[in-house]
Amino acid sequence: MFTSAQLHLAKVFLKIFLRNRQSIFFSMLFPLIFTGVFFFSGGPADPIKLGLVNMSQSAIASQFSDLVIAEPSFDVTKGSLVELKEELILGDQTAIILIPENFTFIEGSSQLSLILDASQVRQASSIQETLENSLLAIERDVRGIKPMFNLVVEDVQARPQRYIDFLLPGILAYMLMNLCIAGSGFNIVEYRRRGILKRLFVTPIQPKDFIVAIILSRMVIVLTQISVMLGLAIMLLDINVVGGLPSLYGIVILGTFIFLSIGFFLGSIAKTQEAIQPIVALTSFPQLILSGVFFPISSMHEFIQPIAHVLPLSVVVSGLRSITNDGMSLLTLNLTTAGVLIWMVVSFIVAIKFFVWKEVAS
Amino acid sequence: MLGPNGAGKTSTLEMLEGMNDIDGGSATINGLDVSQNSYEVKKIIGVQLQANEYFDRLSLIELLILFGKLYSQEIDPMTLLQGVNLAEKANAKPDELSGGQKQRFSIACALVNNPKVLFLDEPTTGLDPQAKRNLWQLIRDLNSEGMTIVLTTHNMEEAEYLCDRIAIMDQGKIVAEDTPQNLILKYAPEPPQAALHGNIEDVFLVLTGHELRD
Repeated sequence: MFTSAQLHLAKVFLKIFLRNRQSIFFSMLFPLIFTGVFFFSGGPADPIKLGLVNMSQSAIASQFSDLVIAEPSFDVTKGSLVELKEELILGDQTAIILIPENFTFIEGSSQLSLILDASQVRQASSIQETLENSLLAIERDVRGIKPMFNLVVEDVQARPQRYIDFLLPGILAYMLMNLCIAGSGFNIVEYRRRGILKRLFVTPIQPKDFIVAIILSRMVIVLTQISVMLGLAIMLLDINVVGGLPSLYGIVILGTFIFLSIGFFLGSIAKTQEAIQPIVALTSFPQLILSGVFFPISSMHEFIQPIAHVLPLSVVVSGLRSITNDGMSLLTLNLTTAGVLIWMVVSFIVAIKFFVWKEVAS
Repeated sequence: MLGPNGAGKTSTLEMLEGMNDIDGGSATINGLDVSQNSYEVKKIIGVQLQANEYFDRLSLIELLILFGKLYSQEIDPMTLLQGVNLAEKANAKPDELSGGQKQRFSIACALVNNPKVLFLDEPTTGLDPQAKRNLWQLIRDLNSEGMTIVLTTHNMEEAEYLCDRIAIMDQGKIVAEDTPQNLILKYAPEPPQAALHGNIEDVFLVLTGHELRD
């Protein structure tokens, strides 16, 4: 399957990597930090910091304000409007609730004001819902009535699905892409600049041999990194790979192949070390947004969806997600597997066809 | 192959080595047309490039074994290193070598496939006289064992000392080609008088000794 030159070259690349202590340190640090960030950013949301200004003397107003203070999803500071406004501008408060002087309890007449900082609007829209729900509950309490409805959210597939379960396969695929493109693209530009590639190619080896060797060696490195990350994710984040690890590794291996090949192509069209950085950013950033890493492709604008669905990162993300979340195996994923295979062939051919081992005069 | 900078020496060499496309005329090595059989030609030539950089973190032995594998050959790296007088540096990295040692190592790399033709691109540029003389000896030895050697140089003395035939290139063309002796007889003006003594290099060598300073 592989020639002895390819295998030996792969062994040499691995040896070079393993002798570079710094690269080992950082490549292992990365999965640790990555899982750590998720581990520590999880947990219940912090209470919303709320300023409360009570201008009214009425008993009903003070009863209301006590209930706001007692609400567990709020962290309430009482004070004067002037003081709290300053704190709001400084970002110490998220919003201020103003109970007006004429706050009475006559049907539909009282108005509460919510004061926000416009620069935090995005955050405000997400807390507004919490606020309204809490205020409604408080109103019921004040009036002494029971709620008519209770909304219970149930997942259609009756399995606990958290955002992290959606996010992790996407991030895993994105990380895979970055590791691979850096591993092939950046290396090849450096080897070419120093004339190492030129020296290799006065011997009877062919671009195919060189590319296969780097893919083999990088595969070992990337699989180790992914395994560390996955192990930590399973232990710390309680991630469950429903479709089984063999399928997961299957798609990781195929994905590695695709992204390394893309890296070779980028490394060949970039003439200098300075050029490779923006070229790589231009390739990876749009895919980060469009490939359904953070939110599903189906939520995007309709005209972009057909493009988004066929991006190399998209097919890998969707394959990984179906395996970790929906319990599919590599063999049952017809369309995605086909997409992955097509990208493998296309990227490998492009990598070989465009491979440049000579310094190109600019 | 002699010629001023930009005359086309390296380009010609790279065409012969199958690294540059031949856009006019033809080149044959050992009966093989280079542009049609560049893969076969690469198997029977050895090449030393002007820039000799290697993968980081590999020792001389490891690099030689790697180059052997690229020709699908098992080689004996120590014999090759002894041949270029680098046996004691076997486990060093190329970065740790001096200029002369680096050049000798790059010749060792070019010899892994026991080539019929060895191409050397300015092998002695930047070397001190001791290292230069040592390299000359190595080149002469290889040649006397039957290896054809094609080299480019800016050093006239080197050309005169080493070469059986000299081609002088200018602006992409060979302007003269013959044995050193014939070239001198044909083109060189009569010297005003015979030099009585050696030159400064001889002085330098007498004062600093002939042994290598690596």
